Amino acid sequence: METVNGYQGNTPVAAPAGTTPSKQTVTAAKIVDTQSVLKRLQSELMALMMSGESGISAFPEGDNIFCWKGTIKGSKDTVFEETEYKLSLSFPNDYPFKPPKVKFETSCFHPNVDIYGNICLDILQDKWSSAYDVRTILLSIQSLLGEPNTSSPLNTQAAQLWSNQQGLLLSLWM
Amino acid sequence: MVSSVLMASLPRHFPELLHWYFKGRLEELSTIMDGEFNGGGDDASQDKDDMDLDEMGKMLHRNGAMDIDESCLQGKFTENNNLVKNIGKVVRDLRSLGFTSMTEDAYASAIFLLLKAKVHDLAGDDYRASVLGSINEWIKDVPLQFLHALLAYLGETTSYYSPSPGLKSPLASHPSACYPAINAPSEGLVRWHLRLEYFAYETLQDLRISKLFEIIVDYPDSSPAIEDLKQCLDYTGQHSKLVESFISALRYRLLTAGASTNDILHQYVSTIKALRTIDPAGVFLEAVGEPIKDYLRGRKDTIKCIVTMLTDGTGGNPNGSGITGDSLLEELNRDEESQENVGADDDFNTDDKQAWVNAASWVPDPVEADPLKGSRNQRKVDILGMIVGIIGSKDQLVNEYRVMLAEKLLNKSDYDIDSEIRTLELLKIHFGESSMQRCEIMLNDLIDSKRTNHNIKATIKSAQTGSEPAETGASMDILNATILSSNFWPPIQDEGLIVPEPVNQLLTDYAKRFHEIKTPRKLLWKKNLGTVKLELQFEDRTMQLSVAPIHAAIIMQFQDQTSWTSNRLATVIGVPVDVLNRRINFWISKGILTESLGKDLNDHVFTLVEGIVDAGKNSGSTGSCEELLGGDEEGERSVASVEDQIRKEMTIYEKFIMGMLTNFGSMALDRIHNTLKMFCVADPPYDKSLQQLQSFLSGLVSEEKLELRDGMYFLKKEVWNSKCSFKKMEISVAILSPFQSSAIPTVLLNHIQLPLCHVLLQCTLGDFLELSIH
Repeated sequence: METVNGYQGNTPVAAPAGTTPSKQTVTAAKIVDTQSVLKRLQSELMALMMSGESGISAFPEGDNIFCWKGTIKGSKDTVFEETEYKLSLSFPNDYPFKPPKVKFETSCFHPNVDIYGNICLDILQDKWSSAYDVRTILLSIQSLLGEPNTSSPLNTQAAQLWSNQQGLLLSLWM
Repeated sequence: MVSSVLMASLPRHFPELLHWYFKGRLEELSTIMDGEFNGGGDDASQDKDDMDLDEMGKMLHRNGAMDIDESCLQGKFTENNNLVKNIGKVVRDLRSLGFTSMTEDAYASAIFLLLKAKVHDLAGDDYRASVLGSINEWIKDVPLQFLHALLAYLGETTSYYSPSPGLKSPLASHPSACYPAINAPSEGLVRWHLRLEYFAYETLQDLRISKLFEIIVDYPDSSPAIEDLKQCLDYTGQHSKLVESFISALRYRLLTAGASTNDILHQYVSTIKALRTIDPAGVFLEAVGEPIKDYLRGRKDTIKCIVTMLTDGTGGNPNGSGITGDSLLEELNRDEESQENVGADDDFNTDDKQAWVNAASWVPDPVEADPLKGSRNQRKVDILGMIVGIIGSKDQLVNEYRVMLAEKLLNKSDYDIDSEIRTLELLKIHFGESSMQRCEIMLNDLIDSKRTNHNIKATIKSAQTGSEPAETGASMDILNATILSSNFWPPIQDEGLIVPEPVNQLLTDYAKRFHEIKTPRKLLWKKNLGTVKLELQFEDRTMQLSVAPIHAAIIMQFQDQTSWTSNRLATVIGVPVDVLNRRINFWISKGILTESLGKDLNDHVFTLVEGIVDAGKNSGSTGSCEELLGGDEEGERSVASVEDQIRKEMTIYEKFIMGMLTNFGSMALDRIHNTLKMFCVADPPYDKSLQQLQSFLSGLVSEEKLELRDGMYFLKKEVWNSKCSFKKMEISVAILSPFQSSAIPTVLLNHIQLPLCHVLLQCTLGDFLELSIH
């Protein structure tokens, strides 16, 4: 027997009324934004830690919650199986309305990852939605490792190799 | 010359004989002084005049058989005088023989022995009365009188004691009162008095110290003994003796596995109170308290016991263990008084105090005895402070109290929380408003519930007028809800339970009404909590019971079907079979259900017992019997205990630690601590100390989840797995290579992780070269 909304915590500070100069409104809004970004990232961290998802992990680096280090293990039955890749995630101030910048820190020989570690993944660019979070980003990258998009490769050599490998695997197992 | 010859030729036991002689005389004197002198009393005065020294021993033995030549009517004093005179003669004779020191030794030791016996006799094992006064009286009455007479007698012949006017002795101020026989005490007498007094104090002190443990056990009653001890110690200054002896007594008798935490705490409180009397500065108390504190810290249920002690007694349960609680509650109460600046609100104060006095089984009078207001206040804060000091922080205490309060409130069937409010107010004064805030909200919930409950029922009544009365047979009247704000309550144990349909219907209706009245809010029922008042009707009897919902749900199922297998019943009620088996024992013990083995070993059959099979077993089952909430076994609690909460918190931390180590590789203790502090801001924010974290981490190390090398923590890697992965990579690379030009291995080496490169280089570079040549 309990009420769901019994006593809520403090409600977010309301933005100043319209009579105040617009500049102030903007800064005030920004402060509120930073607060909510912090909250969002904190809750994402909590969710990620508690989810206990194996193979993906991330944690804020140093004392800055906007910069995270991530770890991905190659998923089973791919060439990347049991290999650990380090990533860096940096969140913009207007996260989650803009996607975070995600890069591979360890070099990854993959059609959609260039030699600098940049990743070509649609949800990190134009297909981004605020419904995504760190967990879904990491899961997407993990699955990208196993299923690259070879039609628009960043690393053409890897892309070429990949298709050959597929063909080879087919001919081997058939 | 003569004396030296005599000295040399004396038999060995001569000093002993002297000693015995004086002892006998003194005992006699003492009996006379005690007024126990009877007609058959000894009187050796006639025979002693010409007594030979060698005969003295014999005389002692003959004493009992001697005839009375003197009339008893002569009175004490004369007799006394005669007795003393005779002793004096003996002493003088001995002196003249040159045995001065030996004689003095002998009568001194006799006096001390007598004094000791007297002290032991007076003090005994009774701590309820002060004995110091009577001992002092006795010293003045018996040995001093004797000495006075003796010295006076000797003084005539041997030396002259002049009264010393400049004597700075505590006795000098009232000499005439003490010594009715003479005008001013001689110096020798004063010295004797001081010696005797010191000896008496020391004896009493030793006696009391050796029994201090027992004295403190019945402390409030034994306070006179404590007062005595305090005076003795003030006189002798042997406090360290007390500390040592008491600590060893504590170690031996109290701080053992066999003693219950409650007893230890009670003893601790009594010790604090008792030692405060002896030593207001608290120096020795600290020394004595330390071992107890250390020991209590090692016990798991200490906090629980303290909280019980703090809060119990409010229930008006003055018997049994309530006494312990009362003493602490008393402290709380006094604390309140001091805050109120006694006298500011006299009326309320006395009223309140009266209430407490009624609730408590005793009223401590040391407070009244202490005239100094300041020190009284000082002392009040002390006990609670020291008790809290055992735990370390008040937060833990408050938390435990919250859990206990929650438990108490959830088990209430009415909304009567007056005593809880009172306790909370007292605690608030001591621990501060903010730390008790959650508890206050919990109590407010109860008050709100009462109102809401009333409102909901009112709306239903008004809605139902005219329409048919509740067709389910269960009207809203029988339902009382307690509505909690879950954010502020300790985590509540959730247990699935399918309640019977009519009841469920009722609950849903109620929730609907609630939603209508308090619109954004919804009710979530915790169906496993609360109490159900039942009336069971059998063919030949009815029973009224107050039980937990699960018990009610179980018995309800037997209404239509008198026999169930445990598996079926568990599914219907919606609880695991083992839980069901545990809970159903309640009904079996009541003799309402019987258990028999079914076809399957794990599937028991429960059958309803109609009528009384064995009347003897069910005492008082005819008619109705009212029983209190039954079957509350250990571990059946509605609120998660503090330990459970800590365990849960720790698993969160474990996940965080695993998370950061996965990403950072290795971390030092400090960094883990700081990172947790920064990012682990969950509902219970990370609030552990570095030491607590360290012990937690070493726990993880011993579980082989972490590794500790050179002060850095690592995740424990599974070695077998990584080797396996290397092999796999080798294969896949080997497959890739023959189809590509010889440039590929270098590309591969560039883009594969470093450790893997090493392996590849070391193990398979040769193979690569071979393959590419093909």
